[in-house]
Amino acid sequence: MKLLTHNLLSSHVRGVGPRGFPLRLQATEVRINPVEFNPDFVARMIPKVEWAALLEAADTLHLVEVPKGPIEGYEHDEKFLRQMHHVLLEVRTGPSLASLATAG
Amino acid sequence: MDQEAAQLEKRHVHDVYESTAPYFNDLQSKAWPRVRQFLQEQKPGSLIADIGCGTGKYLKVNSQVYTLGCDYCGPLVEIARSRGCEVMVCDNLHLPFRDQGLDAIISIGVIHHFSTKQRRIRAIKEMARVLVPGGQLMIYVWAMEQKNRHFEKQDVLVPWNRALCSRLFSDSSQPGRKKPCAHPERSHPYPPPCSVCSCSVCFKEQCHSKRSHSMDYEPLMAGTCCAAISKDGEEENGFYNTLGKSFRSWFFSRSLDESTLRKQTERVRPLKNTEGWANSTICIQPSRHSSLDLDHHEPFSTTEQYLDEDVFVEMSQKQLEWPRAPAAMKHQHGDQQGEVRRNGDGNFLEGTNANSNPEETISVEEQQPNILDSRAFMRYYHVFREGELYGLLKEHVAELHVLSSGNDHGNWCIIAEKKDNWG
Repeated sequence: MKLLTHNLLSSHVRGVGPRGFPLRLQATEVRINPVEFNPDFVARMIPKVEWAALLEAADTLHLVEVPKGPIEGYEHDEKFLRQMHHVLLEVRTGPSLASLATAG
Repeated sequence: MDQEAAQLEKRHVHDVYESTAPYFNDLQSKAWPRVRQFLQEQKPGSLIADIGCGTGKYLKVNSQVYTLGCDYCGPLVEIARSRGCEVMVCDNLHLPFRDQGLDAIISIGVIHHFSTKQRRIRAIKEMARVLVPGGQLMIYVWAMEQKNRHFEKQDVLVPWNRALCSRLFSDSSQPGRKKPCAHPERSHPYPPPCSVCSCSVCFKEQCHSKRSHSMDYEPLMAGTCCAAISKDGEEENGFYNTLGKSFRSWFFSRSLDESTLRKQTERVRPLKNTEGWANSTICIQPSRHSSLDLDHHEPFSTTEQYLDEDVFVEMSQKQLEWPRAPAAMKHQHGDQQGEVRRNGDGNFLEGTNANSNPEETISVEEQQPNILDSRAFMRYYHVFREGELYGLLKEHVAELHVLSSGNDHGNWCIIAEKKDNWG
């Protein structure tokens, strides 16, 4: 799954979250799938990102060049947007996260 | 009751979808226009989830938004994933999303698979939880009130016949088809959903123009075979009216909400003499009790056997046979007409139909002897009365404010918004 998806899930920070299950990412399962860059789209995603979770994921996956947070004027900063585009939409974690059902 | 509800849903929703998923890989799926419109109206950059996405037909409608699909059925999720969709397996009652993370959610033909009112409410509340304040939720559920037929009860088991599906599907690849049902929008804008045609009742021989009707998963979107045919000429129309009448009867299960009152002594064995029944087999005994959802906590048997005996009748081989000729159908329908009521009170089953002459039937099981354990392919639905969905939200989901509600092709639909001041 894409890291943007992962970012929407609960309990992605270290430890056990409210929903009860930690989502551990595996560094060995990273793939990169190129996606067409759409700066407007990415810019709109930025306010929705939960940064702590994103940075933790990036760290676990040993990703480089990941912005630490939104910067001033990010909407027009192509370099920033491209980096975010890459992290959120092109990095894919392995299939092991496909099943997230927390059985009732 | 929740455990019984989960069991029922496992058997008559989840297992069915899992088993039948492979047949839906290549088939056309319709996207309802109003759902598409809802998705297209979302602001660019929105985060959207389709809860109960099936094979993902709505996931690529709007390229300016980020859409996630979730479904309980693994095989369907895999199909969607293979099409490049961002999907995952999850449970509507326990969504894996953080609070207030999503801008919009669609729930199309999903809530009606929950077998108790409480579970339906929980599902809606769970979706509300993950919505941002101001975010919108669109819900579609199958309506009890249909245009040309009506459900007698709200809790229904809908048969799905795999053999017929594959036959019809292979038919559709033959040339010279007229108005394929798989594209209702081209031939008939906004056709009413064919509640009869969940593949199980459109006979190969009767589709004169060899239409394949939409094999879409939900009856909501299912083929317009019957609807399309009605425009095609009187003879076909007549046949299908008859056919429609015969198969209008659904297989109604007792609502689990009502079941808690059921006493052992009131159990009545359904028809033993099933020879005259081509396919209606699964039958029901509508409860005499009004629905008492939460008021009674009387325990009732939780065994599967109990459910089976009460709700279903054993199917014999003959019951799986399909009548062959229209003439036979018409004739037999007449024979059968009176033969529906049993059990003195008259509040008995609705399953009917038509075939009393074995020689005129073709066995659906010729090649696939073990496929038609029909109970395995009976899908459970709680069909909604007018106003019911609205009432559910109004009374039980205070965090949502209903923006609009209406009927779309046999479905009750609602758009609601997460209230701003909600935590």
